[in-house]
Amino acid sequence: MSEQPYGLIATFDTAAGLYHAAEQVRDAGYKNWDCITPCPVHGLDGAMGLGRSRVPRISLCGGLLGFTTGMSLIYWSGAVNYPLIVGGKPLFSPMFAFPVSYELTILFTAFATIIGMFVLNGLPRHYHPVLKDDVILRGLDDKFLIVIEAGDPRFDAIHTRALLENIGGTGIKELEA
Amino acid sequence: MSSPNVTTATASVALAANAVSAAAAPVSASPASTKALAAKFLGVGLIGIAATALGLFVSPPKTVVLAWLVGVSFWTAIAIGMLLLVLIHHIFDASWSVVLRRQFEHGLASFKWLGLLFAPLLIITWMQPGFIWDWTNLASPLHGGHGTVGDDVLYIKKAGFLNTTMLTAMSVGFFLIWMWLSARLRKASFTQDSDGNVGWTTMNRTTAAFGIPLVALSLTGAAIYWMKSLEYHWFSTMYGVWFFANCARGALSIGIVITLWLSARGDYQGILNKNHLHSIGQLMLAFTVFWAYVTFSQYFLIWNANVPEETFWYNLREINNSDGQPNQWKWVGMLLLFGHFFGPFLALLSYRFKVTPHIIRRIAYWILAIILVDLCYNILPALKDAHGDPEPFLSMTLLWVVTAVIGVGGVCAWAYLRSFPSAKLIPIRDPRITECLTHHE
Repeated sequence: MSEQPYGLIATFDTAAGLYHAAEQVRDAGYKNWDCITPCPVHGLDGAMGLGRSRVPRISLCGGLLGFTTGMSLIYWSGAVNYPLIVGGKPLFSPMFAFPVSYELTILFTAFATIIGMFVLNGLPRHYHPVLKDDVILRGLDDKFLIVIEAGDPRFDAIHTRALLENIGGTGIKELEA
Repeated sequence: MSSPNVTTATASVALAANAVSAAAAPVSASPASTKALAAKFLGVGLIGIAATALGLFVSPPKTVVLAWLVGVSFWTAIAIGMLLLVLIHHIFDASWSVVLRRQFEHGLASFKWLGLLFAPLLIITWMQPGFIWDWTNLASPLHGGHGTVGDDVLYIKKAGFLNTTMLTAMSVGFFLIWMWLSARLRKASFTQDSDGNVGWTTMNRTTAAFGIPLVALSLTGAAIYWMKSLEYHWFSTMYGVWFFANCARGALSIGIVITLWLSARGDYQGILNKNHLHSIGQLMLAFTVFWAYVTFSQYFLIWNANVPEETFWYNLREINNSDGQPNQWKWVGMLLLFGHFFGPFLALLSYRFKVTPHIIRRIAYWILAIILVDLCYNILPALKDAHGDPEPFLSMTLLWVVTAVIGVGGVCAWAYLRSFPSAKLIPIRDPRITECLTHHE
């Protein structure tokens, strides 16, 4: 076991218990911590003080890039690289470039969304310190867990443990890094 | 149409801020103020109707009559949108929209009045054939002196469909379909409030299963008869879908206006949450894209194929036949492109805009206004000057469009508010009501 643990983990019996505990961890000012639940808990993001995801911004960039790519692709190929009059139409018009741009907007938005989600979530990740302890098995089944990382600026082995006890956590233990 | 901002100021009774007590309230929060408000709207509506009628003596009668067609179509579109959203709610067994659905059910009370307000157009057509729709009179001259409608091969091919008897029978039929479906949906939903029988929900699901195709066909028919046939040479298979997109967008926008009004008045305190607004906003975004997809496809296919029978419809909305100069409708078309699609699309991408009441309300008002412009764009260029060019957009006609919209809108708002106290505020015994009240919470 290394000298510095990964963090402290505490168990809660109910979703409500976890929800209110999360509010207090949030109010205590912790940033590097997480909840592990066997099922989605509505409103937990608010209780944890998480803001809106930043993925939509990445999606928007992907969409704009796709739209521009479509327009410039049709413009460059039809009006610059190989000018050819087809069906009496102008060499370039946003009209006929639109279907392509529209499809590329969707495609690039989808790519940006998936990739943005993976990157922001730190995926793919094949190993995580909480997997070392068997308590995770209950956290995936019928218990609710809170993990506060030792890397958090406010982390203090004694005070953080006291906080977790105060907010109703049981079976508090250190996680190996 | 008086602004709902004004109406919120008349709110008197605020209900307790939690859903359970609101649900237990016998009817609405404030029957008295609702009644007074209904009377006000009826008054405003009658003034609008009177003002439009006055227009018949001020402007050329045909401009006023077509403005009336715009006004009736606008509110009918919104009512059809409400009907479809209720049907779609039932067919998907949706839970999030239960509280929104109740307001749409009240809105459906307007169909019989809309039918009544549409009737003058039919009466005029019987009394003066060809006055509104050229093809209702075989002796109507064709533009450019190419004979009459009766000699027109393009008319003869469509004569079985385009004649006054069919127009009348179809229009009456459409309104009967909408009124009948609305009556079924309303009765089932309102009765369930008192007896709690789940059977009403399954009955509505059945209604939805056969009602959706019926409404789809009837709204397409209405769009073809009332608007597209104003230029009966023209054809577009996208037309009904275009009208449907406007119906849905209008109904969703009115849904925002109504629910936020009820929220501000106190009725919906503790009922409406951010996630409801988010869901309505997402549908508004989806239908914005849908409208653009359909409208652009119609334009693009005609532009690309470049067949004169089709392109003339867009040509006369861009340049004058007589001198080849751009006309005002070109800029109206640009306004639709940016104001009906790009603006709302970009605004509705934002989560914050969708869930912030005063922002989403403004977006809803904007969409309602631009739908009206879209209907003007489709209907009013049928008014031609001596050269066969469309009359300009900015003209006295616009004033009669506004009075017609206020007139018909006042009556619709009155019909909604008159129905409002006849049922509980929300469908308290709907099997999905709890899910709805805790939507994503």
